[in-house]
Amino acid sequence: MNGEIFWYQQTAVPLLALVQLLPLLGAAVVLALGERPLAVLAGKLFAAGELLLVAFTASRVDAALAFQLAERIDLLGYHVAIDGIAVMFLLLTALLTLLMTLYGMSRGMISPGRLFAVLLLAEAGLVGMLLTLNIAWFAFFSALELWAVVYLLRRWASSRAETQALARFVQYQGFGLALFVAGCFVLGWGYAEVTGGRWSFDLFDLTGTLPAGKFQTAAFYLLFYGLAVRTPLFPLHGWLPNMAQHGLIAVAPALMVGVKVGVFGMARFVLPLTPDAVLDWQAYVVGFAMAGVFFTAALAFLQTNLRRLLAFAVVSHTSLLVIGLFSLHAAGIQGAMLLAANFGLAVTGMWFIVGFVFRRTGTTELGELSGLFERIPFLAIAFLIFGLAIVGMPGTPGFDAAHLVLEASIARFGALPTVATALGNVAAAGFLLWGFQKAFLSQEKSGSHDVDRTQPMEYAVCGLAVAALLAIGFFAEPWLQLTDAASQAVAGRFAR
Amino acid sequence: MSLPLLTLIVLLPLLSALVVFLLPARLARRVALLAMAVVLLLTTWLLFSFDPGGPRFQFAERQPWLPGLGIHWSLAVDGLSVLFLPATALLFLGVLAVSWQSAEDAPRLFHGLLLALQSATLGIFCAVDLILFFVFWELSLVPVYFLLARRGVTVDAPRVAARYVLIMLAGGFPLLLAFIMLGSQAGSFELGVLLEQPPALDTQRVVLVLLLFSFAFKVPLVPLHTWLPQFALAAPGTLTALLLGLKVGGFALVRLAIPLAPDAAQEWHWLLAGLGTVTLLYGAVGILAHSNLRVGLAYASICHVGLATLGLSTLSAQGVQGAVSLLLSFSVATGGALLLLECLRLRTGSTDVQALGGVAKTMPLLAAGVLICGLAGVGMPGTSSFPGEFLLILAALDRYTGAGMAALFGLAIAAGAFLALYRKAFYGPASRPAVLAAGDLVWREWLVLIALIAMIVGIGIYPAPWLDIVRPAAEAWAAAIAA
Repeated sequence: MNGEIFWYQQTAVPLLALVQLLPLLGAAVVLALGERPLAVLAGKLFAAGELLLVAFTASRVDAALAFQLAERIDLLGYHVAIDGIAVMFLLLTALLTLLMTLYGMSRGMISPGRLFAVLLLAEAGLVGMLLTLNIAWFAFFSALELWAVVYLLRRWASSRAETQALARFVQYQGFGLALFVAGCFVLGWGYAEVTGGRWSFDLFDLTGTLPAGKFQTAAFYLLFYGLAVRTPLFPLHGWLPNMAQHGLIAVAPALMVGVKVGVFGMARFVLPLTPDAVLDWQAYVVGFAMAGVFFTAALAFLQTNLRRLLAFAVVSHTSLLVIGLFSLHAAGIQGAMLLAANFGLAVTGMWFIVGFVFRRTGTTELGELSGLFERIPFLAIAFLIFGLAIVGMPGTPGFDAAHLVLEASIARFGALPTVATALGNVAAAGFLLWGFQKAFLSQEKSGSHDVDRTQPMEYAVCGLAVAALLAIGFFAEPWLQLTDAASQAVAGRFAR
Repeated sequence: MSLPLLTLIVLLPLLSALVVFLLPARLARRVALLAMAVVLLLTTWLLFSFDPGGPRFQFAERQPWLPGLGIHWSLAVDGLSVLFLPATALLFLGVLAVSWQSAEDAPRLFHGLLLALQSATLGIFCAVDLILFFVFWELSLVPVYFLLARRGVTVDAPRVAARYVLIMLAGGFPLLLAFIMLGSQAGSFELGVLLEQPPALDTQRVVLVLLLFSFAFKVPLVPLHTWLPQFALAAPGTLTALLLGLKVGGFALVRLAIPLAPDAAQEWHWLLAGLGTVTLLYGAVGILAHSNLRVGLAYASICHVGLATLGLSTLSAQGVQGAVSLLLSFSVATGGALLLLECLRLRTGSTDVQALGGVAKTMPLLAAGVLICGLAGVGMPGTSSFPGEFLLILAALDRYTGAGMAALFGLAIAAGAFLALYRKAFYGPASRPAVLAAGDLVWREWLVLIALIAMIVGIGIYPAPWLDIVRPAAEAWAAAIAA
């Protein structure tokens, strides 16, 4: 696994550096433009440019190799490289950011230019997390992205309960980050012990000097729970429903859970760096995740607000990802990664539609929404397609991914727990359909809101996301190939 | 075979659905008509070019689809499935004719969904890659959901639609699980390969239980049938006709559940026989308890799939031949009756006997049509259901005399109960204004009626050609299980 290919062996320019710098540059330019109308346009252009650049990078990646296009500056501990899994997440990040800029989030907001700058900064944080092979840099980019989201929440929140939601968010995330940093520290210290005082947080260095016994367990717990807060994994999900309900619709939740960096971080750092502890604690992690699937599904049924409902949907399916990941089986890891990307795209799409509905009706309370299908059929159907993707309907990437996770789960945990988990997924289908019916299909109430027809921008945003989902779903083969070698590499450590 | 005939048949409706959304709304139904007519022609051509004495799977096509997961776009027909294709095409045309003027508020959505459902249904009958089968199986849920939720006839139709989808999704996961278990053992999801090398008995047992559980929802077998009466009440007759007329659940039992786990099926044949008998008796009694003709027909159909399951559990060529014939006859008998009831509902606003009475006076043609379809439904000699039912009863009596007698008894109750419902709705004085004001069938519906009666009587009087298509495949089926 510790092989890597440097960028100058593959391309003429250090592509990964460009991929990381472009959003930062974009943020700076947009910020410099201030509140001129040009700033919004520049923000969109930079987001589109980043997607193109990432797509170009993806085309230069050879999926059969492990880490590639690597760049290193030893003095700073700067070490980046890309593999198939990272390519997929990178494309997703760039696509989601572009959709967020198109979504017209600045409509009616104060200082739209600043908003776009912060969004690009958050993108830079996400991209950095996906590319770095240095766990301290990962923590740093994580902090950068969190700061961006906190700033968004503080400045552009949409409801009066925002202070409480923000406080909860900061408490949870701050605590999670602190745990993660402590975990980094334990690993770095372990390295310093072995090498006589030379500190390093580099993935390659650390895999050579795994801490033994309880130190490894400590590192595992700190890193795992640090990321579990971020993911969010039951029972550490308390921040998400409040933020989803009171935060800036669509953008803030999409930034936090659209790109599942928590699960990505577990695959990239936790599994390779604490393999023995992972094996020891596998049963507990999976057990908690299985309980989480059901617990959150039950909670979701109690929600009366569409935004909170979606938040619980996220928590419920995150548990599925963790089950796939901790099957420690190549197919399961690959399935979890594909599923994470699929969920991210689908949930973000749903969040956009909730945003569109909110613009029309001023509410996301299920009791107050009715008969939207008559007025905005395209958005209704798109919402259902996103929901079906989450459930794993054939024709969406969710199916191929769920197939892999089920296969791994049968192989590792047997048929019975697998059936139970799958039933939990059906429960997820249940609450999504229920929400869909309440909001879109129920009989229109008298005196309900006058709802505008679908606008071209809404067709574009949802159409793009639906098209991407269906295209990947029906032609999943390239994505399977892309993530295959990388998943094998992660699972290779646990081969039995 | 250079022309990919099966791919064309399966994908043509889906592509037409896309065309429907691109063209102006007023053209929607014409596009649908054209596509469905072409599918009927193609499937008929397929039927006549099929060689019953030839190799088991014919017109086979196989292209890699997701080679990373070992999944292929693999289609083929055999003697068990080939007749279902023209039956599907016919029934969809009938649905289109009956609802020709009833979808004017959202014609593109309605016809697009109908075409998508046709693709999924044809795919279920043609797929010989298990995962591909699963894909079509699940995809058929989406159009059914929308057709019911948007075009239901009762207020709670969206709720019933959601319940249906959830139940089917719950049934879908065991199915996928069983397929993955089979596929990962044999290294292939290809039906032909899996039939030749059945897995170890332990695996077979698990697979059979999972498949039975899953298909029992769709068939439906008692006690997993509870969605069907609700569905029949909430859905327009046309949609119920598609669901009850095209017995994909029963087909899946014949095609997959038993042959994929042959030794386990031999071991547990009594389980199948018991489920079949209970379902049959329950369905027969259920008709007695309802006053709505659509719900009555739903129970009649439960009764008959019970009989088909009982016949299948004998694991004999006779049983499977009878089951396939009966399932096929459903598309014209039950499907036809429901289409005619939809004509009735569109005129009078109800199919409940309490809101009807004397319908035969104002709508004699419709009444005659329902009677003929209904008689076929209860297995009257001279109708298309009789050969199948006869074979099934013979097979059942031969293997389990007690269950066979119970089946005869149940069928007698079902016939009596159906005729009682029919009498209340269609005879007696016509007093309801809605019934008095209603006109008889118009020429579109006439065409449907004539086609139905021609098939019911034609097949009933001269069943030999149809049975001959099924027989070689049925014999091979029974021989493979006995081996």
